[in-house]
Amino acid sequence: MHCKSGGKCMAHVNLFLIAFLALIVWRLVFASLQRSRLARAIAPQQQRHDNLFEEVLHISDPGSVAVIAGNRFENSSDSSCSLGPNDRAKAYLRRVVAITNATQMGDGYVLDVGTTRFQVRDRYVRRLRYAADLKCGYEETCFYSIHEGMPKAEEIATALLQLRNNPALFDKWAVQNGQAIKADGQVFSHAH
Amino acid sequence: MNAKILTFSSNGDKTLLEYDPATADMEEVNNVIAEYEAQTGAQPFDMATGERIEKITREHNEILMVDPIAGG
Repeated sequence: MHCKSGGKCMAHVNLFLIAFLALIVWRLVFASLQRSRLARAIAPQQQRHDNLFEEVLHISDPGSVAVIAGNRFENSSDSSCSLGPNDRAKAYLRRVVAITNATQMGDGYVLDVGTTRFQVRDRYVRRLRYAADLKCGYEETCFYSIHEGMPKAEEIATALLQLRNNPALFDKWAVQNGQAIKADGQVFSHAH
Repeated sequence: MNAKILTFSSNGDKTLLEYDPATADMEEVNNVIAEYEAQTGAQPFDMATGERIEKITREHNEILMVDPIAGG
């Protein structure tokens, strides 16, 4: 830059510095506002979760348990926190499919436990006694979580986990008397 | 890294507890989970192996409380 006088040159430099600093300040303020908006959005949800859990468990002093209630999501970057319930449910289903060695087939999932094959789809599960012999026929029953409104992916994940650990649960579900069966095969009687 | 205990619900997954496994009183954690099971029928599964857990230890990092299922 050519300056005819030192004063004019300094004025230009000062003007540039002021503009640059203003831009940095604006960026910082904008980022801070974004964070506080996000915090305000999360806080009520967190409060509801905490209240519910304390209410259910009647925890008089949660701090004494060295336990912190929270809504952070393991394995997740910040971006997964912004996923909706259905997307997170699908993500959990994918993890459960992987750890149970199930495979997706069409709109359902195939789970082999010993010589028994289960085909699990939304609210229905089919059992083939001998996985390799398709001529043996199959039995089918429906199933549902006792918590209404649970995302479909989470219901399927629940069934896959339970059948893998306890394939005899199929027979209990097949009775179809509406009784809730716990993962260990025991009947659950509602506390309320 | 904190360990956490979560469950599925009508609003998707929900974290019930988050704690430091190095310092938490695991007996107390198991008591809390036992009470939760009594209220809801949900039982704990290890999300690393997919196995049902009888007793939560410091080695468990992510536990899913799996709700009862009904047929019909």
